[in-house]
Amino acid sequence: MKELLTPRERFGLLVIDEPQDRVPVFPLVTAHAARVARIPIRDYYTDGIAMARSQLAAQEFYGTDFISFFSEVGLVAEALGSRFSYPDDDLPLLAEPKWSELGELDDATADPMKDGRLRVYLDAISYAYEARADTVPILAYVPAPFTTAQQLVDQEAFLLGLLTEPERIHRLLEYATCSIIRFCRAIIGAGGLPILVDPLASGSVISAEHYREFALPCEAEVIRYLHRYDLDIVLHICGDTNPIIHIMPESGADLLSLDHVGLETAIAAAGDRCRIIGNFDTTAIMLSKPQEVADSVAAMVLAGKPCPRGFVAATGCEVPVETPPENVRAFVRAAKEAGANADWGARRRA
Amino acid sequence: MSERSLTSQAGRTSPTPGWADPKPARVTFDEWQDLFERVPEELVEEYHYFPPNREAFSKYLFPPQTFAIYGMRHLRRLKYDNSLAALRMWGFVQNETERLFRARQLGRRVIATMGDLGAVPVIVNSFPDCIAFYPDCIWWTPFAMESRVLFDAAAELGIGDATCFSRAALGAFAKHSYFPDPDLVIASTGASCDDYSGVEQLVERFAPDMMWVEEPMRCDMGRMGPMGPMLVKEYERVVERMEKLTGHEITDDELRAGVRQANRVRKLVKRLRELAFREGAMASLEMMVVEFGNLHHYSDITEWPHVLEHLLATAESRAAADTPVVDKDALRVVWVTPPADPLLLTYVEDAGARVVGTEYVINQALEIIDEDKPPLEAIAESFMAASLIGTSKARAQSAIDQAREYRAEGVIISGIFGGSHCAMEGRLISDYVKAALDLPVLEFDVTSPSREIALQIGTRIDAFLEVLRSRR
Repeated sequence: MKELLTPRERFGLLVIDEPQDRVPVFPLVTAHAARVARIPIRDYYTDGIAMARSQLAAQEFYGTDFISFFSEVGLVAEALGSRFSYPDDDLPLLAEPKWSELGELDDATADPMKDGRLRVYLDAISYAYEARADTVPILAYVPAPFTTAQQLVDQEAFLLGLLTEPERIHRLLEYATCSIIRFCRAIIGAGGLPILVDPLASGSVISAEHYREFALPCEAEVIRYLHRYDLDIVLHICGDTNPIIHIMPESGADLLSLDHVGLETAIAAAGDRCRIIGNFDTTAIMLSKPQEVADSVAAMVLAGKPCPRGFVAATGCEVPVETPPENVRAFVRAAKEAGANADWGARRRA
Repeated sequence: MSERSLTSQAGRTSPTPGWADPKPARVTFDEWQDLFERVPEELVEEYHYFPPNREAFSKYLFPPQTFAIYGMRHLRRLKYDNSLAALRMWGFVQNETERLFRARQLGRRVIATMGDLGAVPVIVNSFPDCIAFYPDCIWWTPFAMESRVLFDAAAELGIGDATCFSRAALGAFAKHSYFPDPDLVIASTGASCDDYSGVEQLVERFAPDMMWVEEPMRCDMGRMGPMGPMLVKEYERVVERMEKLTGHEITDDELRAGVRQANRVRKLVKRLRELAFREGAMASLEMMVVEFGNLHHYSDITEWPHVLEHLLATAESRAAADTPVVDKDALRVVWVTPPADPLLLTYVEDAGARVVGTEYVINQALEIIDEDKPPLEAIAESFMAASLIGTSKARAQSAIDQAREYRAEGVIISGIFGGSHCAMEGRLISDYVKAALDLPVLEFDVTSPSREIALQIGTRIDAFLEVLRSRR
């Protein structure tokens, strides 16, 4: 059925605290888009035009409310010197971090036009922007400093350093932040809305105390920069966010994209300050039958809709590459039906 | 720190701390991002709409990039004045949709005024906590977004491509997401654009409360003529309806204050036009935005004058220092009918011309309202100068007068594809101008939204400007 609002119009209402015709629907379709477009995944993350065309195809095929560019969280680290391998039909793998241990830093800053695959993203954003930005928001995931730092230094050394060398960790985070902000600036220039993604800061990896001491201030710094442009910023942390959900709003994020946390818990802890995006189980979307997906999504939407600042029906993390398309379609259809705002037209006609 | 002065939000003259405008120039989208990165945080924090409100959401000093990300794709192709004042103006204007929704959230009444372009908002804004806006101005949105979304929505409701771009307003009403549903729609019609009358009629289904106001035809019997008293009675009906809506009985003093605040804006714009046309102190794109601010002050009568004062201080400073933003020796043209596609203004200026006069069908909003007369009579009198309630000859005369005053070398008439009065009067105005001044006239229709102007129009502009050059 043809809808009255475009995704762009719907998102515009969400971010100025106005009711929408239905909840926006956002299964995090990233590399799965390559399957929709029937191209090798390696093409998806090494060729900006291929990435854009895949995303455009997936957005149209599924009828989602956003286009979102992402391949993996090592993007900025690679641009700064970490080495990644590119399997033919899988996502990039960290082959060798820039440093094997915490030590002295260089004075490098990643150049978005030259270094690593940052340019791939910018090309993708520009292409999609020209194609569809009047009707669909164009989002681009940017790995946050804390996550990027763990791709720059051997992860074990990094995590140990949180306990033994906090000053070096802070300097490393500043080092990463510099390049991330520069990348954000380029994304803004290309027409994309940056989403900050910090999965390695989740409760599955670090404690709440370490999140507050190390990850949160860097997230806040990047978000402060983005707020200079008055952008509405999503902070995505997948994994377990139960221990940190109450402090995530201190990052300044306008929307929180969440994974393993009860929606009621999330809304109670942060729903008066942030819109909540979440949080369908990504294993379930891949392995369940379509009707099971639909039933669970409907329940999720009913739980999320009361969020005072607004709710977006999403998966908790990326839709797995091999997810059956009929499951994603079931997700979208069920979310739209359950998320419909029956009062919307009536209230306005009254 | 710049020693340049400007008028602050409090109306005082003060320096702009931490910022000095670069040498005046028109800059690209990308260049403005570089400039914005240098704007101090304190300045981003300083400007808020609906003063004295200081809510975080009400900041507006943001660059074109912000609005481009939210879908305004055309902003990437335009060229902008590189002053802080111009940045402030763009941020303020682009922010209007949000501002209208926030107005409602703040408990204010939002009144859609349609069709008359300038008069009824003077009355509406005189009422406490009421905000007038023109859905008519949505006609720029399809061009700003390079999108047919609103036209398609209008087409589904019965108005297609054979109608003026103002049909976008109907699409916006249908979608409930470009402005809050108005508490009242005051639709003016009569001796005006018949396309837009059709739009207004179709809007009625979306308006829970709507009143109609008759616009009379101007006679050649002096400004007011026999129709003036009729218009005053129409405005008395507007007052009555507003009083009923608000429960507030308006006083003569409140209406006079409303006239004075409208005049404050009109006087600022009058001076800005003078500086732009004579000194090249502002470019045509910014000036078009400035002129249209006279209609409804971009939904914020309190803050818009401060934006204008900032612009005026910048323009005065440029004139005093003889540092124009456009080449004063560029080819001088008068522009008739506002180009729905703002890229045309950028194109013409890039090609070596500058605009020294305008007849943007809003003459009524440029008039200074007589503050000594009874307010409704004075507002009616100012409206009787309206561009579209008289003859085409009168519109042509306005263009001729400005062409004489500012020594224009040519006249550009940009019609609206599908706009009925444009089809009728473009040739007439052209003939009057040629007969009176023997100036070359370029007449074309603006076509549908696109990322670039049509090749044929570009070629015709280039050829026209070559003709003007050859006549020097």
